[in-house]
Amino acid sequence: MTDVTKNIQLSEEEFLLNMGPQHPSTHGVLRLVLKLRGEFIEDLTPHVGYLHRSIEKIAENRTYAQFMPFTDRIDYCASMPCNLAWALAVEKLAGIEVPPRAQYLRVLMTELNRIASHLIYLGVMSLDLGAFTPFLYTFREREWILDLFEMTCGQRLTYNYMRIGGVSRDLPPEFYQSCKNFTKVFLKKVDEYEALFTYNPIFLTRTKDIGILPIAVGLEYGASGPTIRGSGHNWDLRKVEPYSSYEKFDFNVPLGTKGDVWDRYMVRVQEMRESCKIINQALDGLPEGEIKAKVPGVFKPPAGEVISRIEAPRGEMGYYLVSDGSTKPYRVKIRTASYGNLQVLRYLSRGWKIADLVAIFGSLDVVLPEVDR
Amino acid sequence: MGYFKEFFSGIYNLLLGLKTTAKYLPERAVTLQYPKEKWPMPERSRGIVVLLSDPDTGELNCTACLLCQKACPVAAITITQAKNETTNKRYPKTFEVNNTICCFCGLCEEACNFDAIKLTGLYEFATFDKESLIFQKEKLQELGRNVKYEKKRKSVAKKPAAKSETTETKPQSAAPSDPPKGEEA
Amino acid sequence: MLELTGIIQWVGGIVTSISNSLGLPQIIIDIILILLIAVAIFAFLMLMALYLIWMERKVSGHIQDRLGPMMTGWHGWAQTIADALKLLQKEDIIVANADRKVHYWAPIVVFTACFAVYAVIPFGKGMLAADVNIGILYILSITTFTTLSLLMAGWASNNKYALLGGMRSASQIISYEVPLTLSILGVVMMAGTLSMGKFVELQGPYIWKWYVWPQFIGFCIYLIASTAELNRTPFDLPEAEQELVAGFNIEYSGMKFAMFFLAEFLNMFTVGAVTTTLFLGGWNPPLPALAFIPSWVWFLGKSLFIVFVIMWFKWTYPRLRVDHLLSFAWKVLLPISFINIILTAIGITIF
Repeated sequence: MTDVTKNIQLSEEEFLLNMGPQHPSTHGVLRLVLKLRGEFIEDLTPHVGYLHRSIEKIAENRTYAQFMPFTDRIDYCASMPCNLAWALAVEKLAGIEVPPRAQYLRVLMTELNRIASHLIYLGVMSLDLGAFTPFLYTFREREWILDLFEMTCGQRLTYNYMRIGGVSRDLPPEFYQSCKNFTKVFLKKVDEYEALFTYNPIFLTRTKDIGILPIAVGLEYGASGPTIRGSGHNWDLRKVEPYSSYEKFDFNVPLGTKGDVWDRYMVRVQEMRESCKIINQALDGLPEGEIKAKVPGVFKPPAGEVISRIEAPRGEMGYYLVSDGSTKPYRVKIRTASYGNLQVLRYLSRGWKIADLVAIFGSLDVVLPEVDR
Repeated sequence: MGYFKEFFSGIYNLLLGLKTTAKYLPERAVTLQYPKEKWPMPERSRGIVVLLSDPDTGELNCTACLLCQKACPVAAITITQAKNETTNKRYPKTFEVNNTICCFCGLCEEACNFDAIKLTGLYEFATFDKESLIFQKEKLQELGRNVKYEKKRKSVAKKPAAKSETTETKPQSAAPSDPPKGEEA
Repeated sequence: MLELTGIIQWVGGIVTSISNSLGLPQIIIDIILILLIAVAIFAFLMLMALYLIWMERKVSGHIQDRLGPMMTGWHGWAQTIADALKLLQKEDIIVANADRKVHYWAPIVVFTACFAVYAVIPFGKGMLAADVNIGILYILSITTFTTLSLLMAGWASNNKYALLGGMRSASQIISYEVPLTLSILGVVMMAGTLSMGKFVELQGPYIWKWYVWPQFIGFCIYLIASTAELNRTPFDLPEAEQELVAGFNIEYSGMKFAMFFLAEFLNMFTVGAVTTTLFLGGWNPPLPALAFIPSWVWFLGKSLFIVFVIMWFKWTYPRLRVDHLLSFAWKVLLPISFINIILTAIGITIF
């Protein structure tokens, strides 16, 4: 606590507390310098960058296809959407038409991954609030999803499943039944999580009316996804700007009313149910046909620049891609949801206690590798 | 009145939580005792890279076309080519996979047209020194000896063998995309 | 008969006769006997703490659909022994600028306090080390030492997290001491005594005569308040892992940390034992016909059941926040325990 804390003025009753980078509830390596008065947070400065891997620079040294495995590492809790956004960006640049079966497979995988990511959120949130058991329950169900992924693409975490123009593999024969079983069992499990949480008085006192985010403030800071939908802002790219044939699916966008921690929790729980609906529709309506468009072995998109954006589990995620017509991108800028969502933390947690800071931070569902990239 | 309603609904929800956890108390564990029991790995698992051999002749399928080396995003594969003077076929003189930087993305397997390289479900390769994670040709061949694989393009590639080779060597010369070494995920 | 009373008297007789033959004065014989009892209880408690840690890991494991320790012995029974041996070998680190003396004494205070409680707990028929006539008062005052030691540990560690943990523990334990004492008051009013031995005697081997039925509210309040005294979830604020990393014991390592840890589990057993004695008939069987099972088995069984319930709480609920915790104590538990006392008084006057 030397350089960064030098300019912080403290009065008699205040003290500084260095929370992180190694701390059980910083979801990776975030460092928060807290100015405290007793247990109350007067001010807070987040320091990011401990997980910087210069992925944007790496992209400039890889071909378009080679960069796909790196997108897995941007958000390791939800790799499929990262894959998808990159594939969409390159396809938009090169004008590639994706076969309908591949589009459906992409939707299927992305929604499964959304559930997996929200399960991590739920588990870690419960852990932040001090309940250990739901964490293992959610991870138990997540394992099932990971098994489905492993069955399809061979990996449990870094899928590298999407390809430019489609997906890498078709579904294995046993996938359909297993996935159907999963959605059936999973809806019951969601009820169980709700029994442990939703109206539990301890959970209610910890989450209701805490960390209220007004829509205007959230938009100013660039918050997106369930964080802003918890405040009641109806903005879901799957509805607003459908990609990968999302317009063919019937689902609702759950919204919160107040924008507190509980609303953000509730939005995510509802989203898991909605995702189950989408998965069932995708499985039943899966069209026959190719899974990958014809893409030349040496892929040279035309020069130009594109932006792709999708609704990742944590919010808007997108790539800004500049091509100079060679085999490698000229510049890639990655917009991740967590970075915008993390900005809100300072606004939300001033005036609350340390325990609330943990709850608020948990409710934002920030994944640090996504912030630092 | 609201106070009492809240009070009793609180107690009810607390008991609901206790019921949920109690339900799982007698249930069978979903975990496995790892070193003693192991999950079966699915067929498509992407673990350690191996080199496949022809089940009839026992020789490597690899023709040292360097496609996998080109496709690898982290430059984990290093191949030196050589030519068999009698049969006039190319073969890899050395084939090195650096498992310390391999990210198991499976792009090499996809790039290969000869069923020569495959990612397998093998994963138990923890050691105490880094050097032993750099696998040479002999080790890779040994690991891939009993690996079953679908001959995805064999039947097509068998008859016009020369044709497929020429089509694959073309992009190799046209696009020398050499990923820089030393940068890894 | 599996009753241990005979063995205790037999050992006592041997010691007395040997000492008499050596011509030692009576006071020395008494001291030797007391020391023997203390050592026996200490050994029992050590085993108990190790077993409880194993039990906690097993209970949490099975609640969470996993198995817990499995590798050391049958279902991992030797896991805690292995852990204790590991902790014994660890270096004892005292951070720079720590208050060394206080830092050193804090674990000893907490451990001594939780050990001293067992002087007045009736483990079984004729297995009461000292039947003090103010037994329950003694327990209440001794257990308060925990606050002192946590505050000592938090202050002496020279760590902001530890200090916050110590402060939280002080405010928490002091507030919960009030409903805890008031909930016991109901039983004391009904029994008209403060002696632990008397409580057991009055309840007798009839399940319908146990104080848990007339004093059900008191029983619930006692369980909640003592969970708070134990610093266990949902009241584990002093060591809230996600907020304060480890709270008051963040700077402790090796055997000192183990002492805090063991004390926590021993205190849990204390709560089980006191609850059993006050509300569940002590070492009495529920029916006279079941008296063939030795009394200490009944005592252990009931105490471990209470311990299991406390563990069950821990693995189900999230943690409260500090101000909610205090307002819960003062606004909910305290009025209810007053109502309980009034109802008890009315009941006693009527019947």
